Amino acid sequence: MNATACYFENSMAQESTDIARGLRRRDPDLLDRLIEQYQHRLLRYLVYLTGRRELAEDLFQETWIRVLERGHQFNDKYTFSTWLFAVARNLAIDYMRRKQPASLDGLLNDGEAAFDVPATGQASAFDMSLRREQNEHIAAGMEHLPAEYREALVLRFQEGMSLEEIAGVTRVPLGTVKSRIYRGLSGLEPWLKGAPL
Amino acid sequence: MSADRNNDANNATSATKNNDAHERARQLIALAGTEELTGADNSSFDAKSSNAWLAEHLRTCASCRGFAENAGETIRGLRAIPIAAGRSLVSATQASVRRRALELQRQRERLWLVSVSCTAVTVCALLSTVALWRGFEWLGAQAGLAPMIWQIGFVVFCVTPALVAGVLLLLRGTHLADHSGSYQG
Repeated sequence: MNATACYFENSMAQESTDIARGLRRRDPDLLDRLIEQYQHRLLRYLVYLTGRRELAEDLFQETWIRVLERGHQFNDKYTFSTWLFAVARNLAIDYMRRKQPASLDGLLNDGEAAFDVPATGQASAFDMSLRREQNEHIAAGMEHLPAEYREALVLRFQEGMSLEEIAGVTRVPLGTVKSRIYRGLSGLEPWLKGAPL
Repeated sequence: MSADRNNDANNATSATKNNDAHERARQLIALAGTEELTGADNSSFDAKSSNAWLAEHLRTCASCRGFAENAGETIRGLRAIPIAAGRSLVSATQASVRRRALELQRQRERLWLVSVSCTAVTVCALLSTVALWRGFEWLGAQAGLAPMIWQIGFVVFCVTPALVAGVLLLLRGTHLADHSGSYQG
């Protein structure tokens, strides 16, 4: 078990080193591969962070341009995804500052349609409808959560990041991360029970 | 009377303790997600004792058990919401990244060209300064001038082009220049 963990740790470190080397060279093939690899995760993070698909797509493109320009700043001691999400987050905050000087809260409640929940995989019609309804409730609940809580939930439960990694991306203490996750989940509880959409 | 007050105080303390216990349990549930308490400190005594404590608490507390079930459902729901990047977005991003990479490469090449030019100019200037110095010295000797005179002439000869260029550049920003910045004389 330890040998397996060690193997994975080493291969991840090697991957980070390769990425760092490629980014310093501004290797376009590497960037193509990274865009393919992280497309869904990055877009999902940005959609939840901003609450708007269109804005998330703009920021998605800007993030990769920033990765190209600032690739030499990537430290291979960390995982690439942590750095990538931090870059995307900074861009989202910059966007909000340009729009109106405010915190991440400004990304919320813009009065625009937020999460679009498409139909999920293949199951029975009843299951699908039930699951879809539940997802809609959760998505609606997410829309009403403060951006900080939403971000913490996405990074923890969708991206599967460790608490330390989330603290690294969001640049807040570990205790704050824990508290945001707890408050975020607590905030979603009434929506799961069927709060009005 | 005093016994009643003691009872009230005891009840309040017990209620606070209970609330703290629920709060702690819910925090542990939220952090653990749908799995057991995970993370780097899983093997630590704290994590193991927290797990044991949580399991014990959940056995006796229906409300926290409900919270745990709801948290599990919520997390499963969160993971089930599919948000995917479209093919066109990915292609457009790859194209714009490649375009920007090309721009940056051209910029780098231009910078390299400017650096090489600067180095070449510096080397040429050094070489020509030596040659000019010798030339002025020879002319001064031929004309029978005092060294001070031809040395001043040499300095004026070297500095004049830079002075003229500087004055012209300064004039571009004054009333002598029109709106397009060209010199009106």
